[in-house]
Amino acid sequence: MTDNIKHTIETPKQKQNRHKAMEAVKVLNMIKEEFKEPPKAMNYFYDLFERVYCKQEPLHADKVKVGTMCIQIPSEIIYALDGVPLRLCNGFYTDDEIGSDLMPSKSCPLVKATVGHLASGNFSDKPDIIFSPTTCDQKTKAGAIVENFGYEVMDVDFPRTKESEESREYWRRSVRKFSHDLSHSLGKKLTKKNLQASIQKIGYAQTLYHKLNDLRKNRFVPILGKDMLMVTNAFFFDRIDNWITAVEELLEEIEQRAKNQLHAGGKISPRIVYTGSPPIFPNYKIPLIIEQSDAIIVADETCSSNRMFNDRVSVDEWFLNDMVDSIADKYLKGCTCPIFTKNNDRIRRIIDLVKSYHADGVIYQAFAGCQVYEMEQRSVLAAMEKEGIAILYIESDYSPSQQGQLTTRVEAFIESLKNRRRMKR
Amino acid sequence: MNYFVGIDIGSTAIKVSVTDENKRLVGSKINASGSMFYKYAKETLQSLLDELHISQNDIAYTVATGYGRKLFKEADENISEITANAIGAQEAAREYGEIKTIINIGGQDSKAISLDNEGNVVNFAMNDRCAAGTGKFLDVVAMNLEIGVDELGEYHFKSTGTPLSISSTCAVFAESEIIGLLGNNHSVEDIVAGVHYSIAKRIVKLVKRVGIKENIYFDGGPALNTGLVHAIENELGKKIFVPKYPQITTSFGAAVLACDAFRTMPLSEQ
Repeated sequence: MTDNIKHTIETPKQKQNRHKAMEAVKVLNMIKEEFKEPPKAMNYFYDLFERVYCKQEPLHADKVKVGTMCIQIPSEIIYALDGVPLRLCNGFYTDDEIGSDLMPSKSCPLVKATVGHLASGNFSDKPDIIFSPTTCDQKTKAGAIVENFGYEVMDVDFPRTKESEESREYWRRSVRKFSHDLSHSLGKKLTKKNLQASIQKIGYAQTLYHKLNDLRKNRFVPILGKDMLMVTNAFFFDRIDNWITAVEELLEEIEQRAKNQLHAGGKISPRIVYTGSPPIFPNYKIPLIIEQSDAIIVADETCSSNRMFNDRVSVDEWFLNDMVDSIADKYLKGCTCPIFTKNNDRIRRIIDLVKSYHADGVIYQAFAGCQVYEMEQRSVLAAMEKEGIAILYIESDYSPSQQGQLTTRVEAFIESLKNRRRMKR
Repeated sequence: MNYFVGIDIGSTAIKVSVTDENKRLVGSKINASGSMFYKYAKETLQSLLDELHISQNDIAYTVATGYGRKLFKEADENISEITANAIGAQEAAREYGEIKTIINIGGQDSKAISLDNEGNVVNFAMNDRCAAGTGKFLDVVAMNLEIGVDELGEYHFKSTGTPLSISSTCAVFAESEIIGLLGNNHSVEDIVAGVHYSIAKRIVKLVKRVGIKENIYFDGGPALNTGLVHAIENELGKKIFVPKYPQITTSFGAAVLACDAFRTMPLSEQ
């Protein structure tokens, strides 16, 4: 027998952590090494992801952590009550595999990964309480599955129609109830002062994002989409004050780059608007393929990025009730998720992004099993065709295996966009 | 004294084992298969017999196995490498305990074999299509990294960072991935560990198809690589048993079978 006694075998937890670190490092290395020199200020974000996902470093040991199953839970209220919102939407294949044993095989990988992560209980920052909005079917059911693992899960009723006055009122009541429930379980009172402060803080974070994003409209795009995704993705879990400081620094550097007309892409890189199921670290598969194929993502319409920052809370009068209602409105009216019966807002927004960011085409990704994005594909494709906007629809999942085929499809689309451009000249 | 020969003609190496009547291993020899399987197989057997001072006449029974087994016409019998592997593993691990699962990584294929309580093969799975994640793959990796195959284990245990996973265990695509990693100054140690974990994950998937039952036996040339053993144990979350001579389990199994076959023959034919 060979001398294999000297090494010990990893515990299941160690094994999971190694798997996740291996996934994370692979993507981080790609992001850092396979593109033109990234902005220096991005190092904060690269390090942050490494600390959290490779070294399992906790960021919020001193705070009550409020897990959210979806973007629809208002962070403003959580911060006002001195909690930390942790967006639980997960992008790890390792967790997707764990979740596959707990959910039907054709479920959405994001939901499977989120459930798998919670089932493993393997967190650097473990949520103390979880709020689960009844948005899509799978997330709605996931909340109940997760409860079985011993988490305290509270539902937040979310309507499926957007335009009606009934749904507006319904959702306002849900948000009021949510703030009451959270206030109760954290033992803190929501006040005019603390809520105003948190609305303003998040509003400022949104302003920073918009300033940064505006520079992507330039002919010379100073920052690549893969870096923007990391910035927005960090907002899921980072300490908000650190995030703000880091983005302020990044903005300064990007403004300088824009002044110097520094271009992050190639000479004729097509400009892409990215939409569909949200890319969440480390599942940056499609965005990375796009930018490795000599295109630039200039804008996106996803809930992991643009939708998180796009609309601000607009308050008429700074009374507590008014603020809570305004927050509710922002989360309902600003939402372009395909869960709604009709979703013309989403189409309008994509067209608007294509025009204002001077995009050459749209790439639409749906996770296999993410039903609503799969279903809405037809209406979006038809609308784009009507507008004369080129669009590529891709279905993919979290497995690392289909890389080759996906690359070929994306490359062919990007080449066709380049040809279109040449024809125009 | 009667002796028994098991000869395993694999894609990469020819392995010959000789046992006595008590199924004890008397000697073994390993040679590269090269281009002329039959010729090299005969030569390997002859040189082993010369070393052991055994004459051809003392060979009572010969069993050939492996992918080139049908080319070896002198054999009294030939059997599949799956059966031979199962018999060899049980005999080799007799003192360790009952073997229920075998992992075999060969030169150009890999297998998982599941055994029942009587030691019969009940299920097995093989890699499909190509040589991804086999011995050949490790050869290519070592060559790209400019180290010896026998050094891979050492490098594995020196890895201090996160193992750098290789998405493709296809030898052709992995080559460009590895060159890319080297170009970005990643450490050879982390690459080696990453390669081992990539193979280990793949092999564990194969094992899961037949079911993981203890004890688990690991053989084939790559079992000499302690780093790979470590990676597979971590992926399985279980200890695995590696025999002293992992390359010859299958040929040893063939020799053991030869012994049994001879014993059950009518005396008149012996």
